[in-house]
Amino acid sequence: MLGLFTENVMTKQPSIKFLRPVRIVLIILGIALILSVGVLLVNPANATPLLSPQELPQNEACLTCHNRPDFQRPLPSGETLSLTIDRDHYRDSVHSTVECTDCHANISEFPHPDLTAQSVRDFSLEMYTVCQQCHADQYDQTLDSVHQKVLAAGNTNAAICTDCHNPHTQTPLTDSNGDLLPEARLQIPQKCAQCHSAIYDLYAQSVHGAALTVENNQDVPTCIDCHGIHNIEDPTTTSFYLNSPLLCAACHTDAAIMEKYGISTNVLDTYVADFHGTTVTLFETQSPDQATNKPVCITCHGVHNIMRVDDPVYGLEMKQNLLARCQTCHPEATSNFPDAWMSHYIPSPEHYPIVYYVTLFYKFFIPGVLGPMAVFVVSDIIRRLIERRKGAKRA
Amino acid sequence: MSKAITKPKSVPSTQKSGTAKKTGVEQTKNRYYQRFHWAQRIAHALLLTSFTTLAITGLPQKYSLSAWGQFLINAFGGIEATRVIHHVAAVVLMLLSTYHVLDVGYKIFVRRVRLTMLPGIRDIKDAFQAFGYNLGFAKKHPQMGRYTFEEKLEYWALVWGTVIMGITGFLMWNPIASTRLLPGEIIPAAKAAHGGEALLAVAAIILWHMYSVHIKRFNKTMFTGNMSEDEMLHEHPLELADIKAGIAERPVDPKTLRKRQAIYWPIAGIISLAMLFGIYGFVGAEKTAISTPPLEEDSVPVYAPQTPTPLPTPTQAQGSGAFLFMWNDPISRIGDIDSSTLVRLQYTVQYTVKLFDWYSQEALCLKKYHPV
Repeated sequence: MLGLFTENVMTKQPSIKFLRPVRIVLIILGIALILSVGVLLVNPANATPLLSPQELPQNEACLTCHNRPDFQRPLPSGETLSLTIDRDHYRDSVHSTVECTDCHANISEFPHPDLTAQSVRDFSLEMYTVCQQCHADQYDQTLDSVHQKVLAAGNTNAAICTDCHNPHTQTPLTDSNGDLLPEARLQIPQKCAQCHSAIYDLYAQSVHGAALTVENNQDVPTCIDCHGIHNIEDPTTTSFYLNSPLLCAACHTDAAIMEKYGISTNVLDTYVADFHGTTVTLFETQSPDQATNKPVCITCHGVHNIMRVDDPVYGLEMKQNLLARCQTCHPEATSNFPDAWMSHYIPSPEHYPIVYYVTLFYKFFIPGVLGPMAVFVVSDIIRRLIERRKGAKRA
Repeated sequence: MSKAITKPKSVPSTQKSGTAKKTGVEQTKNRYYQRFHWAQRIAHALLLTSFTTLAITGLPQKYSLSAWGQFLINAFGGIEATRVIHHVAAVVLMLLSTYHVLDVGYKIFVRRVRLTMLPGIRDIKDAFQAFGYNLGFAKKHPQMGRYTFEEKLEYWALVWGTVIMGITGFLMWNPIASTRLLPGEIIPAAKAAHGGEALLAVAAIILWHMYSVHIKRFNKTMFTGNMSEDEMLHEHPLELADIKAGIAERPVDPKTLRKRQAIYWPIAGIISLAMLFGIYGFVGAEKTAISTPPLEEDSVPVYAPQTPTPLPTPTQAQGSGAFLFMWNDPISRIGDIDSSTLVRLQYTVQYTVKLFDWYSQEALCLKKYHPV
């Protein structure tokens, strides 16, 4: 360090060969240096920074140090807090026009106030609340999220803003219309996978996940389509369970999407018409917090590992696979039993003909019985009215 | 019509009931005939309550998405409670049906009564005649016996309905047991039939039964058990004639009665036991459809963080400057700073060098990105 000092001072050494104006400039610089040191010495408690923030292109001043690739600081926990901000990444990020000190508001001078965080996680937890300065809506939504609840309960692993959106590298996720960019849809499951890697592995193999990750299919749902974006709900609650068929229905009743893949849009109606679906619908509307043992879409099709129904191994079109599903709730079910569920078909002469013809029979039988009855009753009423009038005349 | 009432006045009846005695004033004017035994009236009351309960708990299940359906289901305490009430009422109706089978069996085999409820060609003729009379084509209203064609239609519709509802109800209540033998499709078919039949039954009760005994004329016979001679003459003239002729009843001598009873009761006992066992099976044979194991969740842990790429271990600074600027450098630890002059100076120098360093980098950047 002392070496450096002398090295620096060397530049100030006067030389006879130097021209006079240069010498004067150097002398003035030297005086200024000494004076500034003096000021610091006189009042070390209220040390003014050497250069006020206004005098430098703000972020560049910070990046001078923080652009260093190995810039880091050990923390009491034994971890190392990386202080590196990649200039290029930051320039490409949505925050490129935001000044460092907008978020790091406690840093107005150099040397910076020391860190109070004991660990890397502590530091993130101290910092993430500044997001609400600009992103109040999103921040408020997170307050209702399951992550926030878990965090409030003391689990500091729970995701906070910066876990999903690295503020120094976050690129735009939506286009000017607010629609998700294709690359963003790809990034989402990977973000969630940072903490939910086992679930991600299931999702990546599912019909939806594979279509997204392999084919970059933009129709399939990513995590947020079911779980929400910032107000991510606890998916283990009864109300979430009961509401889940409507999540699936959001896409699966949309003919525009389903036509492309030749998938029926009757899946919700046929489910709701069935015993299970009726019960779940009633629970959902009347007692959303009361548990029911009736299945919803995910019970049979899988939660994250949803497979094609014609999957050669896991497909529910295979009676054995469907029976296995039935048996999870009806352990004594035998091979005929799965047909008690009409597999989302609307009864027709081809599919479930007995049901179709029974329904058809009653379509004719009910009016066939009630019609003649009604005709007779009406004739009886008329006869009585006529006789009453006659009787009145006689009287 | 008014003529018919005044005609028979004081013909004593063997079936004169106690009610007639009580209403002493009317006794001279109108004679009362017992039409329904108290057991039949109780059976009717049970049928009335169980049927109504089944209807008001069943139809909301058929139309569960309608506002009124949901209102009723909510009023009964939710769908599961509604189902329980429906099942209880169904058991009452099944027990009642068992009783009715035994009762009818006793009447047929032991007392050997006239089979007045049996429908025949005559009833069809009567129906057409009544309809013709209403329209003015027939001059006379048909004269009918103990049970009119309307009543027979009502009764046999009820028998048909109860059998259909019982069978389809069993299939739905016990789908696993049912599909051991029958195709699975029979369960949704049973549901369709149960719903269709329910609609038919309720509509028929409102249209046919309500009209016949409440709107046309409020007929209290099923509650009092008695019918006045006026009413008998008007509605069941042939039955009245039979009563008066003394052929309505077929008395059995006590000896034959005991003999028949001795045969009937054991058989009836076996049948009733079998039916009660059937009802028990109906209710309790199958548990898995109503109590199920907890649903399986994802078999993987929810929180499974990816192993993060380890950060590089702190090394010597590799920046363009030849100085060290590390947070673990004691003089840079602002919290630990001591205010000695030397340290202050060192820091100042470091910062100055840093600035030069930055300007030189920036110059390079400019060159790189904005070549002249």
